[in-house]
Amino acid sequence: MANTRELQNRIKSIRDTMKITKAMYMMSSMKLRKAKQKLENTEAYFYGLQEQIKEILLHFPDMQHVFFDNRMEDMQEEVKKKAFVVITGDKGMAGAYNHNVTKEAQVAIDALRENGNYRLFVVGEVGRRYFSGLGYHIEPDFLFSTNNPSLHRARVITELLVELYKQEEIDEVYVIYTRMINSMQSVVETEKLLPLKTHDFVAKELLEAARKKLGNVDTETVAEETYEIYPSPAAVLEKLAYNYVTGFLYGALVEGNASEENARMIAMQSATDNAVEMLRLLSIEYNRVRQAAITQEITEVIGGAKALKKKKKKQAR
Amino acid sequence: MNTFSLKITACDRVFYEGECEILIFPVEDGEMAIMAHHEQMTTTVEIGELRFRTPDGAEHVAIVSDGMLQVAHNQVKVIVYSAETPEEIDAFRARAAEERAREQLRQKQSIMEYHISRASLARAMARLRGKDKHMPE
Repeated sequence: MANTRELQNRIKSIRDTMKITKAMYMMSSMKLRKAKQKLENTEAYFYGLQEQIKEILLHFPDMQHVFFDNRMEDMQEEVKKKAFVVITGDKGMAGAYNHNVTKEAQVAIDALRENGNYRLFVVGEVGRRYFSGLGYHIEPDFLFSTNNPSLHRARVITELLVELYKQEEIDEVYVIYTRMINSMQSVVETEKLLPLKTHDFVAKELLEAARKKLGNVDTETVAEETYEIYPSPAAVLEKLAYNYVTGFLYGALVEGNASEENARMIAMQSATDNAVEMLRLLSIEYNRVRQAAITQEITEVIGGAKALKKKKKKQAR
Repeated sequence: MNTFSLKITACDRVFYEGECEILIFPVEDGEMAIMAHHEQMTTTVEIGELRFRTPDGAEHVAIVSDGMLQVAHNQVKVIVYSAETPEEIDAFRARAAEERAREQLRQKQSIMEYHISRASLARAMARLRGKDKHMPE
């Protein structure tokens, strides 16, 4: 059994650690609230954008556009250059949050690794270190933090990706991020961001119906009579797609951030719980040791006293 | 005067939702105005100043950055990155952003960086213009 001094030291160090985990818990819960608020605020914007894209696609079902998956030149290519945007955290101590994302990304990349047709864009310090440590080629100039996501950051990332996409440096863009289902559960998602899928916005049947309706007459003239798009459908769609990508990336950043803080909150909560349990057990043990020591001392005193008594009796005799 | 329903959504909130008599917004080649019963239309909104008059006769001003506008069935939906009233604009911040963007534009940079800097500069200038015009110091 350890002595009281050792136990006291341990209890003190656990108390100190608990203070830290408690503080981190509070901070995470505050940040989580902020992230959730942010997510809520952008919802109207995001849904509005989706609606507008849908509207245009319904009016121009056969439009060919670089940002949509029904583009011509793309169908002829066999090898696709894929880009992955992986959203991880800046710090650890968040349970399995970072691990889950990096694992998912690794599986996706490993499938392509031998022909080297991937570009890896990692957001967050943890993911960057993880992938560079494993010898993956990550974009060196792509340095973004996940802390406190802003629309500006999403816009800069979009600009970068779209530029590469337009130059045909990359053919497909995937985003790997963590989505929060509720406060207890989150799930890693892989979404194809570019080219946009038409049926993400409009159900196939609706699109077919629109096509049929316009099919009999010359598509262009009918559409333009009833629906004016200024300056041109392509320009408008480009802008919309651009805004959509930005909106999506921003959403993914915020979701990731919220999941990270949530994971950290849960991890810190359980760390605090464990500390409390350890303190309980240690204090029991400490009391036992203390009591044993006292009992021993008393026994020693009594024993000593008895011995003295006996000695005195002997001498008296 | 006839009215139409107007909804202006920015990325962080719904800026305005309600009836409107006339809406004037910046487009690529100047400004465009929309009144009640406008034909169906979709167009892009540029960075600049957006004005609208509500049925009570009040004139409202918003400094917007780029986005989309859609007209259908006497309803107008405007979706922009940001929309602010001149009162909300922090002139100090906007000026700092303007200087930063100018500085970045001076430096040699890639086409992509150039696009970003130019857009930032346009936004900062629109904010400052709006602020100066409606709330001169």
